[in-house]
Amino acid sequence: MAKIDLDKMLVKIKNTQWALSDIDWDAPGADLVTAEQWPQLKEFMADLMWIEHVGARAFAAMAKKAPTDTLREIYTYFHAEEQRHANAEMALMKRWGMLDGDELPEPNINLRLVIEWLDRYSDEMPVYVLGTVVPMLEIALDGALCKFLLDTVDDPVCHQAFEKINDDESRHLGVGFTVMEMQGHGATYIKMVEMAAQLMDPRLILGIASYFPLLNKMRDNVVAMGLSEEKLYACMRKFEKIGGRTEDGRRNVWFQIIKFHSRWVVDRNNRFYHAPVDAVVKLTGYIPRRVLPAVPSWVKELTYKPTA
Amino acid sequence: MTNATTSRKGTAKAATTSAKRASNVKPATVLIVGAGFAGLGTAIRLQQAGIRNIVILERASAVGGTWRDNSYPGAACDIPSNLYSYSFDPNPDWSRSFSGSAEILSYIEAMVERFGLQQYIRFNQNVTDLSYDDDHGLWHASTEGGASFSGRVAVMAQGPLSNPGFPAIPGIEDFKGKTVHSAAWDHDYDFRGKRVGVIGTGASAIQIIPELAKQAGKLTVFQRTPAWVMPRPDFETPDWQKTLFRKVPASQSALRKGLYLAHESMALAVIWQSPVTRLAERLGRWHLRRQVKDRWLRRQLTPDYRIGCKRILVSNDYYPALQQPNSKLITWPIARISENGVRTVEGIEHQFDAIVYATGFEVSHSGTPFPVRGSAGRLLADDWARGAQAYKSINVAGYPNLFLTFGPNSGPGHNSALVYMESQIDYIVKGVKTILKRNLKALAVKDRAQDEYNAGIQKRLARTNWNSGCKSWYLTEDGFNATMYPGFATQYANQMSELELRDYTLITA
Repeated sequence: MAKIDLDKMLVKIKNTQWALSDIDWDAPGADLVTAEQWPQLKEFMADLMWIEHVGARAFAAMAKKAPTDTLREIYTYFHAEEQRHANAEMALMKRWGMLDGDELPEPNINLRLVIEWLDRYSDEMPVYVLGTVVPMLEIALDGALCKFLLDTVDDPVCHQAFEKINDDESRHLGVGFTVMEMQGHGATYIKMVEMAAQLMDPRLILGIASYFPLLNKMRDNVVAMGLSEEKLYACMRKFEKIGGRTEDGRRNVWFQIIKFHSRWVVDRNNRFYHAPVDAVVKLTGYIPRRVLPAVPSWVKELTYKPTA
Repeated sequence: MTNATTSRKGTAKAATTSAKRASNVKPATVLIVGAGFAGLGTAIRLQQAGIRNIVILERASAVGGTWRDNSYPGAACDIPSNLYSYSFDPNPDWSRSFSGSAEILSYIEAMVERFGLQQYIRFNQNVTDLSYDDDHGLWHASTEGGASFSGRVAVMAQGPLSNPGFPAIPGIEDFKGKTVHSAAWDHDYDFRGKRVGVIGTGASAIQIIPELAKQAGKLTVFQRTPAWVMPRPDFETPDWQKTLFRKVPASQSALRKGLYLAHESMALAVIWQSPVTRLAERLGRWHLRRQVKDRWLRRQLTPDYRIGCKRILVSNDYYPALQQPNSKLITWPIARISENGVRTVEGIEHQFDAIVYATGFEVSHSGTPFPVRGSAGRLLADDWARGAQAYKSINVAGYPNLFLTFGPNSGPGHNSALVYMESQIDYIVKGVKTILKRNLKALAVKDRAQDEYNAGIQKRLARTNWNSGCKSWYLTEDGFNATMYPGFATQYANQMSELELRDYTLITA
C-alpha cells in the first residue's frame, strides 16, 4: 500500500458516493438466512452496527482536530460514511426481520460505555490517539467481522451492501495508515514526552478502561457465533504489518503502544492482561442500565429507511 | 500572450465602435449604473452640490437594489435602522430597531420621491458594456435593449452582491420539485404543509428558517459550516421615540452617533484578534448554550473558526426554530441532489417538495458584472484577473473618470455599509466637482498611487481575522482579500475625506 495523496483521495471519496436507495432491500434472497443462524446473526449485526456507529463518532472528533483542511473534510466524510454503514446494516436487519418495529437494537454494555466516553471526551483527545485506535478497530473488528459475515451468509443483498461498505473501508484504512505515518514523521523523543503527558490524562485513561473490555467482549461474542478466534487475530496482525511497513509508521509511538496491546489481546496465555480485562467485562455486565445517563442524541440518528 | 494582444485589439475596436454609436447622444455629466442605495445616494449628493445632469441606469423596473430583490420571509438588516440609513436623510419613523426589508425598501422609495430622483432614472436598462472613449473623455454604456448612454463620469453602483449564487453541488439541475433562491423569492409558492429543504446557514438562511419553520410541514436545514450567531437586540420602536426624533432631530443624530461608536468598538473583536474577540466568542457560546440544551446539536452548531473570520450573524429565533418538532438540522455533507431531494453522505435521500437555496450571491473577486473597458480598450476583468484592486477602493488606474461604490477593499465587517458608502459618495462628488471646475477631460489615478495604497492595505489585512485561515466569500481561491477594509470606519472616512490631486493625472479638455 503506497502512501496516499490526501487531496486526490478526497476527490475520489466525493466521486464514489452511494446511497441506501441504490440497493433494492426487498430483492429476493432474504430467506437464505437459516433459522439456526438467525438468533446469533441478530446479535452479531447489532454489535457490528454499533461498532460502525462508534467509529463514526470517533471520526467526528478527529474532524474537529484535523491538522489540515483536506484531512478535516476527509474525516467529515468518513464520519458520514460510517453512519451510512450502520444505516445499511440496520436495513439488512430490517430485511431479515431482526428489528423490533422501528426500534434501534440495544447496544451491549461495553459499547454503551464506549459511546458514553466518546460523547464526553473524544473531542478533547489529540487527533493521533484516535487516529491510531480507529484503524485498529476498523481492521480488527470491522474487517474480521465483515469477512466472517460474507463467509456465513448467502443473501445476495448482504453481499451487495458489503461490497460497497468494504470499498469505503479500504479508503478509510488507506487514509488511517497514511496519517499514522505522518504522525511518526519527526523527532521520536518529543513524541514520547508528548505521549506520556497524554497518557496521564484521566480522560484518556477512562477511554482505555472502556476500550480494553470492549475488545474482549467482542472476541467472546464472535467466538460464540462460530468465528475462529484465529481469523480475528490474523486481522489484528495485519494492523501490525501495514502500520509498521515504513520507518515513519514505526516511529509513531501510538502505533507501537497499540501494536503491543494487540499482541497481548491475541495472546490468550497472557493472564496478566486477560484475567483483569475479562473480569471487567464480567463486572460491567452487572451495571444496571438505569444508572447510565440517557444516550446522546447522535445515537438516535440511525435509520434503516433509505429516504427521509 | 498572443491571445491577450488579440483581445486588446478586439476590445479597442469595440470601444471605438461604441464611441461612434453613442456620439449622437448628448452626454450626461454623471452616468450611474444601478438605482439601489449607492446609486440613489450618489444622485442625491450630486444634486445637492448643484450637479443635475445625471442619468441612472437601472436593470429592473423598480428602485431599491438588494432590498427590492431580497424580499424573502424574514428579510431584515443586521445593522440597526438608525445607522443603516443615510445621515442626510434620517427617518424618525423606523418601526423597529432592526427593520425588515419591506420597510427599508419603502425608505428608499420615499427618498426617490423626496429628492425628485425619478427624472434621472432609466428603468429596464441592463448595462452590457461600459467603455471609455479616450478622445472625448466620455464613458459610453450599452444596454440590453440596444440603447446607448454617455457621461463624462461613470459611477458603478450595481452592487457587489446582486446576482443569486447557487452552490456547485452535483445533480443540482435534476431536482423535479420547486426551486427557490433567497434573492429571487417566489411569493406565489405556498410553503404551508410542504416538505422543504434549506441549503445554507448564512445571513439570509437564518432569517428565512424561522419563518419557514412556521409554515412548512417538515423543514430540513443543510449546514456545511456553522456561523457565529449573536443575540439580536431587536424591539419595537416606542411612540415617544418617534415623536422625540421628529421634534428634536438632534436626538436622532445623537442616537446614530452612539450606535456608530458602539459598532466601531466591535472592530476590536471582529477585525483583529484581541481580548474583545474572546469576549465576543464567549457571548456567542453563551447565546448558543442558553438556546440549545442538547449537547450534540450544540456541537453541530459551534463554529470552529475565530469570530469575525466570516460574517457574524445576529438572531434570536434561529436556534429555537431548528428545534421545532417539524425542523431538523443536517450536517452530513451533501453527496448530490437527485430528482426527489438531497442525498447526503450518510446514505439517506431527504425528499422535498421544495428546495430553498439560501446560498448568497455570485461573488466575483476578479471579474466585473459586464465588460468595463478603460483607456485604450483595456479590460477591467484582465486587470483584475489576479484579484481586484483600486485606489482607496474608488478609482482604478487606467480607467479615468470612473468611480466605484463598494469597490475593492471597502467592505465593513463591523459597521453599517451605508457609513462607508457616504464617504464614497462624498468622494465622488469631490471628484466630479474637480472635473467640472477645472474642465478636465480626464481625472486619472496614477498607477504608483494605486500600488502603494494596495501594498499598505494588504499588509494590514494580513493581521486581520478575515485572513486567519477560514474560507469565506471575502477571499479569492488563492486566499487574496479583495473585499474587506482592514480598519475602523472612522479611518476609512478619514482616507476618503481628501481628494489628493497629487495621486492623479489631470488632463484638461
